[in-house]
Amino acid sequence: MIYGLVQILLFQSLGELVSKFLLPTLPGPVIGLVLLVIWLVIRKGINTELAMVADTFSQYLGLLFVPAAVGVVLFLPQLKANALAIITALVGSIILTIGSSAVVVRLLSKKASDE
Amino acid sequence: MSEKHSIVEIWVYLSGSPLFALFITLAAYQIGLTIYKHSKQNPLVNPVAIAILIVASTIQFIDMPYSTYFEGAQFIHFLLGSATVSLAIPIYRGLNSLKGRSIPLLASLCTGGLVSIISAVGIATLLGADSSITGAMYPKSVTAPIAMGIAERINVSPTLTAIFAVCTGILGAILAPFVLNALGMKAWWQRGFAIGIGAHGIGTSRAFSIHPEAGTYASLAMGMNGVISAVAIPIIYHVLNL
Repeated sequence: MIYGLVQILLFQSLGELVSKFLLPTLPGPVIGLVLLVIWLVIRKGINTELAMVADTFSQYLGLLFVPAAVGVVLFLPQLKANALAIITALVGSIILTIGSSAVVVRLLSKKASDE
Repeated sequence: MSEKHSIVEIWVYLSGSPLFALFITLAAYQIGLTIYKHSKQNPLVNPVAIAILIVASTIQFIDMPYSTYFEGAQFIHFLLGSATVSLAIPIYRGLNSLKGRSIPLLASLCTGGLVSIISAVGIATLLGADSSITGAMYPKSVTAPIAMGIAERINVSPTLTAIFAVCTGILGAILAPFVLNALGMKAWWQRGFAIGIGAHGIGTSRAFSIHPEAGTYASLAMGMNGVISAVAIPIIYHVLNL
């Protein structure tokens, strides 16, 4: 468990350093993620401690954005004033996003299997 | 008088330390999880949404300023970065599934990512939403921890982004089966991948509960969408907001 956390924090710190000095447009944790994927590809495997920490994080991922999302109390008047636009935009965009992704992946994989 | 006095003192002490914020956050999430289990994992009964509602109404009710709450809850918030890094593991596990299908999957990812931004920002703008709302719409199809990182980079509210991302996940998990059935999508891997692009984490856990192949592809889509969006959204945002 601890060894897994040490690995995650190490890659997070590397990501923050790269973000600060080389790639300021990318959030540090995303760079850490990419570095960790590259490391896993080179090592050809995930050790059990790392897998355990990662699975725990993904199981309770939702808990971690509660503190920021509770900030909704500060935006209630603004959200109420724009409610119709927000709901229409979200629902419309979800249908179009899922629909277009699905159509593209089906179209291109049909072509690939015809060849 | 001393009894009443001491209760007030304890209350002041507890609400000044991180203990209270940590307690209500974890307790609210636990209540959310319990209700979710009892509802047989109905996507409408989302544990995160329940936790947000409980905590938000509690701090409103006791008149606690959000900044005081956040001071305590920041210890949970801090772990978002570590959780983002640990998304490397599901991506690594999904890399094998990419073989031989990388072109259709990458094309689908880019199309879905662009359609998501253009449609959400476009519809919201057309209906007269102000720029702080439309700005927070950009990363809404990205998994919340990465979406909030992107929001900070483009100077929009991470809170609004988190709210839109959670709503997108909940609505996407509900709407996805109807959209995919209407289009006659049959292959599980294609269905899963489209759900992962449109409805990130909440959609992915829904996909896993329907079919394991759909779940693997959904989590691959979610991770890749997060990384590509983190690179692309700041660029797209600055191009559209010159």
